[in-house]
Amino acid sequence: MATDFWASSHNKRWIVDRATLKQARAEDLQYVHSPDHIDLLNIYFANLIGMLGKKLSLRQRVIATATVFFRRFYVKNLYCETDPFIVIAACCYVAAKAEESPVHIKNVVSESRLMFSQEGYGVKNFPSDNSKLAEMEFYLVSDLECDLVVFHPYRTLLTLCGRESACALDTEAGEVGVGIDSGPRYWGTGEGRLELEEGPLQTAWFIINDTYRSEICLLYPPHMIAIAAIYLTLVLNDKTREAIQAQGAPVPPPRRSSRTTSGSAHRKSAPAQQQDFVGFMAGLRVSLPTVAMIAQEILSLYTLWGRYSDTPPESGLGGNGAGEHSGGDDVVTPAFLTQLLLRMREARLADLAHPASGQPVAVNKRLERTQAAG
Amino acid sequence: MDAVERANADRQKKWVKDQKVGEGTYAVVYRGRELATGRKIAIKKIKVGQFKDGLDMSAVREVKYLRELHHPNVIELLDVFSSKTNLNLVLEFLDTDLEMIIKDRSLVFLPADIKSWMAMMFRGLEFCHRNFILHRDLKPNNLLIASDGQLKIADFGLARDAADPGYKMTCQVITRWYRPPELLFGCRYYSTAVDIWSVGCIFAELMLRTPYLPGESDMDQLKTIFRALGTPTEEEWPGHTKLPDYVSIGQFPRTPLRDLFTAATADTLNLLSKCIVYEPRKRISAKDALNHPYFFALPYPTHPSKLPKTIAQTTAAASRPLDEVDGNVDLNSGAGPGATAAGTAPPKKLKRKLSGHDTSRNIARKLDFTAA
Repeated sequence: MATDFWASSHNKRWIVDRATLKQARAEDLQYVHSPDHIDLLNIYFANLIGMLGKKLSLRQRVIATATVFFRRFYVKNLYCETDPFIVIAACCYVAAKAEESPVHIKNVVSESRLMFSQEGYGVKNFPSDNSKLAEMEFYLVSDLECDLVVFHPYRTLLTLCGRESACALDTEAGEVGVGIDSGPRYWGTGEGRLELEEGPLQTAWFIINDTYRSEICLLYPPHMIAIAAIYLTLVLNDKTREAIQAQGAPVPPPRRSSRTTSGSAHRKSAPAQQQDFVGFMAGLRVSLPTVAMIAQEILSLYTLWGRYSDTPPESGLGGNGAGEHSGGDDVVTPAFLTQLLLRMREARLADLAHPASGQPVAVNKRLERTQAAG
Repeated sequence: MDAVERANADRQKKWVKDQKVGEGTYAVVYRGRELATGRKIAIKKIKVGQFKDGLDMSAVREVKYLRELHHPNVIELLDVFSSKTNLNLVLEFLDTDLEMIIKDRSLVFLPADIKSWMAMMFRGLEFCHRNFILHRDLKPNNLLIASDGQLKIADFGLARDAADPGYKMTCQVITRWYRPPELLFGCRYYSTAVDIWSVGCIFAELMLRTPYLPGESDMDQLKTIFRALGTPTEEEWPGHTKLPDYVSIGQFPRTPLRDLFTAATADTLNLLSKCIVYEPRKRISAKDALNHPYFFALPYPTHPSKLPKTIAQTTAAASRPLDEVDGNVDLNSGAGPGATAAGTAPPKKLKRKLSGHDTSRNIARKLDFTAA
């Protein structure tokens, strides 16, 4: 949240293109039957981070940061060559520190152990030693190249759609530097804002939470993701959709006038239902095709997510969206995914031990042991 | 070696580490140079040791902010690489700090010199504050001076984002002599104004050539402040008696700043007094300070290259130890009451740690299939 996004490491180094992501997953893909499995793993791991974060009572933003760290780490690493579970723990640990709400390393280790060893996950070899996590933290931070400031769509959402009382609505909300009265402020003036009711605002917030289950956070800048979430909210919410359709029924107003109606004068006189949603979107002056693309990706994430079933009770957030698209292909459970990961790892091990060159490579003894145990 | 390791090794090869020049609680500082150009740099090696408790919070903070901040008046982090079990920060090399300059009695400061330093200080600070970053440890020792005279804010080990409203921050920050009264009273919700108080203290110190408000303990610090500026009234600072750690210190009369700063101009005293206003919300912001008449009045600020230099600086600092290259490296621990700096770790211990790195590497970044 600090610093200027355009000058930030997030914008300069960590918005990657699809080709990079494809390359990052290329080797993992050799070890799975269906490419969907990789995306399902993405959902699975994001869920785990969310749940571990909740256990450690981290705020939503810290969980989001941890998830972004996780995704960034796997731009450079393979699922089949690393232990994602300890990476998850390390991401939560580092994110908590980076977001100024540190948790003791011991808590992270014990909570992770407890959670991962549950029936549904079947991860039995999570280390009990603090130093293992600390070591993973070191690899994580160095692979992140020490870029620990992450921007999130939440702030954009609240800036564009939050109420003046946004702080009361949600503790995550609020602008920095409320104590500072001096200087010009564009927020609070109502200029260029769309006032959403609490319900739709929550929906948009949850959609943003859900985007972390895919690689969207690596592909697009956060403000675009926020706008896509607002767009989906407007379309999905009955009331706002009707309003948009009612607007569309008469002759669609020319662009110029739609922009002027979105001005603050109009806002003050009109109640929330009569807001000019189309004008608001147009007035944002961002690439609407990109917004549509992100929205499409969010929708396909939901479709895929329908195949994912959490046998252990899913805690709170992101429950919406799931279940809507039940049916389809085979249903995938966390236990299955853990097994899948172990199979990938074994296959990778076998490949490395018997490379095409025919020269066997010495295999790490310790890994064999842990796999025998797991 | 995979692509990630190769990229790291490539980065590492660009820099040469020379001798060790200082050591702090969580880092060792080396002098070094860029291989291609011979440009002088400082390498700060963050000790990870045997991975006992993870990275130090100060290290996380410093790295986090320096990676993002790029400004002529903020120390530049040139590169980051990891070696074995250490994180290495490559920082620009800086000759000296403002504390050394203040202490060097052979130097004479003109009002224009002070104005120049203040302008650079406010510029750097305004950049931090514009990005919602509180430095929380401003003191002359953390204001480094480059060979071209530019002042650079360093040591972001205590820095943090301004918290969202309603989130508490610790009040145990800022070295005592530069700590504002609201923090001494245990205020947990504060803003950029805490840094402005520190700047005010440094401003006064530049004129006096000795620390302005040197308290011996937290309680004595309040007394020192009140003795200098008078006990605040409820009118001057509404609500201060309700702060968590408020104690009544006694009544001290307000003495005009003019009595102490006899040679200062009216503009100078006006800016100073605005930096050390009791009520944090009324303290001047860095941005407003830059627009203060003080900076536009004669004499104009000295060009950085013409500012007073320590002898060490002028005689090409070749042989001088660089212990002050970073404020975290607190060799002269008697210098100030370090609210932040814990004791310096004995070097012996470090050596053992470093030699033991082979055994400490228990898990691999990757599951290690090939290691014997």
